Amino acid sequence: MERNLEKTMDDVINTEGVIGCILADHQGLCLGAKGKASGDSAGLIAAIADQAAKLEPGSKSPIIYLQNDTRQCLIHRQGPVVAAIYKQVSS
Amino acid sequence: MNHSSHWTRSYIFLNGVYKWKMLLMERIPDQIGYLVLTEDGAVLTSGGELENDERIANLIMGLITLTDNIDSNAFATNEKFDKMSVTYDDHCYIISLSNKKIHVVKKKLTSDGSPPPAAPQPLVDE
Repeated sequence: MERNLEKTMDDVINTEGVIGCILADHQGLCLGAKGKASGDSAGLIAAIADQAAKLEPGSKSPIIYLQNDTRQCLIHRQGPVVAAIYKQVSS
Repeated sequence: MNHSSHWTRSYIFLNGVYKWKMLLMERIPDQIGYLVLTEDGAVLTSGGELENDERIANLIMGLITLTDNIDSNAFATNEKFDKMSVTYDDHCYIISLSNKKIHVVKKKLTSDGSPPPAAPQPLVDE
């Protein structure tokens, strides 16, 4: 299982523009982090996904997208796993 | 000038400002609801599906608090996000901070995730 997670994270981190990615379980415990991502934020990422899901409890998990002039952050829950991808905006 | 006429004028002025803002939010293409909140979460104006929706307002304030400091490794502590969107299959919530107010717009999306095409506009004013 870890090998699959590692491979998925490697594929993500090798995508253009991605500077980091982190995976957390349903409790907010870190499953893995690559690039410029700290395992300490796993709990926060899971909390954000949970909070956003409360907007419409009957619907599928939403994608949360944060951005400023230089960076983007995408958070999505798929089953028991929450993923966050950090991207650099190319100008 | 007595106090009551001063307050009446202030009320009329502020009421006018809010109505103007309300109209601006209502003109956003494909919006199906909107909220304007103060920085502490109080609802200033609202409309459409989000009219007087304090539950959504509180959830969004919670989201904003959580996203305040995501990852110090990837984002410097002084680096804040200025726009957030929460996307579902056929609609999304777009949240942004402007003029010390939190603007929330609920928008319709088509099946491929893009906004629906705008209604054709006549090229020449009739």
